[in-house]
Amino acid sequence: MFQYNFMQNAFMIAILISILCPLIGMFLVLKRYSMMGDTLSHASFAGVAAGLMFHMHPILSAFCLTSIFGVLIEILRRHFKNYAELILVVILSLSVGIAITLISSGLVHANIDSFLFGSILTVTREDFYIVFLLSIISLFIVSRLYHSLMFMIFDEEGAKISGINIKFINYTFAVLVAATISVSIRIVGILVISSLIALPIATALQLRKGFKTTLLFGVLFSFIDIISGITISYWINAAPGGVIAIMSVLVLAFVLFFQNHHFPVNIHLLNLKNMAKINCMIANGKRNSDGRRKFQIQSIFKPAWHQKYQTTKFTFETSQSEQRTINSGYSISKSAPRR
Amino acid sequence: MIHIKNMYFSYEQSSYILKNLNFSIQNGSYISILGENGSGKSTFIKLLLNLLIPTSGHIENTFTRTAYVPQRFESLNTQFPITIEEILTCYQKARHIPGKKIIDDSLALVKMQDYKKALVGTLSGGQCQKIFIARALMGNPDLLILDEPSNGVDIKSQNEIYQLIKNLNQEKKVTVICVEHNLKAAIKNSTLLYHIAQGVGHICNPQDYIREYLIENTGVENYVSI
Repeated sequence: MFQYNFMQNAFMIAILISILCPLIGMFLVLKRYSMMGDTLSHASFAGVAAGLMFHMHPILSAFCLTSIFGVLIEILRRHFKNYAELILVVILSLSVGIAITLISSGLVHANIDSFLFGSILTVTREDFYIVFLLSIISLFIVSRLYHSLMFMIFDEEGAKISGINIKFINYTFAVLVAATISVSIRIVGILVISSLIALPIATALQLRKGFKTTLLFGVLFSFIDIISGITISYWINAAPGGVIAIMSVLVLAFVLFFQNHHFPVNIHLLNLKNMAKINCMIANGKRNSDGRRKFQIQSIFKPAWHQKYQTTKFTFETSQSEQRTINSGYSISKSAPRR
Repeated sequence: MIHIKNMYFSYEQSSYILKNLNFSIQNGSYISILGENGSGKSTFIKLLLNLLIPTSGHIENTFTRTAYVPQRFESLNTQFPITIEEILTCYQKARHIPGKKIIDDSLALVKMQDYKKALVGTLSGGQCQKIFIARALMGNPDLLILDEPSNGVDIKSQNEIYQLIKNLNQEKKVTVICVEHNLKAAIKNSTLLYHIAQGVGHICNPQDYIREYLIENTGVENYVSI
């Protein structure tokens, strides 16, 4: 499939957006502002329509209009402090209104479907150069603002006291979101771009790691989503946007399943001294590098009816079915692992 | 030092929250700010931190390295994916604090060096508070402002935190301003108390404050010093 120029272009753009989308998505998701991605993707719809009408390059026109709407969201956010989501609805309505009006009036003489659903066939080398330029500029700005953005999202008040220019960063970030969306619409499509911004990060968050590690996992998941999505869409002859969105959800479901799937273990606690009843047990095994699993067990029990509840915590490591006594008073037996 | 003169403050069109405050904070002092809920303590702190601007009057602040320890993060998102090292690194970068070992050193000050790689959501209230104190100490501050440092912290951690603050004040001569609900800690540690009631502030020394407090609440005039 790599003998075709359009596939080469599509994969090169895909690699760039698989880095850029989770990078921006990380900050948007943690800012609790992931719907901004959806709103600005609709704003880019109006930008594409305007670009096609005025015979501009649609990615550039989308970038310009999306940036304007992104900055407008930030300005309005200061006036509607307690109703931030309302601004997103306002901007979304305005941009969709503009796009539908332009398209339905017959002023736009082009196929808009490729921008709505994403397309591999229509990706040109010129698109790649524009995407490459915007991506490099965006990556450079994010790398410069990385620590300030992280600080601001974690503790905005603290960041303000430390001298970080919150206003400037918010406006710059709005433009960065606009750039990310503009470069992604060719492949992913306007309708599902927000999934690529939020879902890889939502997946990476399930791993419960630090900021940088979560971000790197987000990039990895995004890469898996996009590359598998494009490859499958090529073979089944479908629009890549839809397949990428499905792949993102599948990867999230896969991680969720394995993250929440506790190691099957049957633990019997027995207080040998006075046969206390165990009221609660929590067991979760994590596999170590040597294949052994480490168990952290917490039990809350009442030694006798007239005594208070007691809590006991202990850990043990094992690789096979065994029985052992812990804390001299409690006997633990564990079934063999099923997987 | 900080010199506050004829300061009034109100939020937009509402009535004055702080009225005609006149107050000086000397270098090296430990001041506790007391008052009921809604009396304007946090607003006062925000004014000192330049997060708010006085409606009238002015604040003259000669401290150059102000550090702030927020109230224990009630709204802290325990799912936020950030390690203690990352919290301190972004603070270091934002404040342009030089030094490669500064993070380890500040964590060692609060005896939390083992938690460098831990996620913030896995820490208890007291540990969290210690981390924010460690963060504040990174820039070698000359003014440390704390908002209810004992809120939601167990007795053992409270004692450790207050001992640490007191040591900083007495040994490193860091000026401390502490918003307090913990009357015992305020009286035990402070050199001066500043009581804000209905927007009006007045200065008192700890012993006078106990007497006034006891007379007001119990009618007892004779008391045993803490």
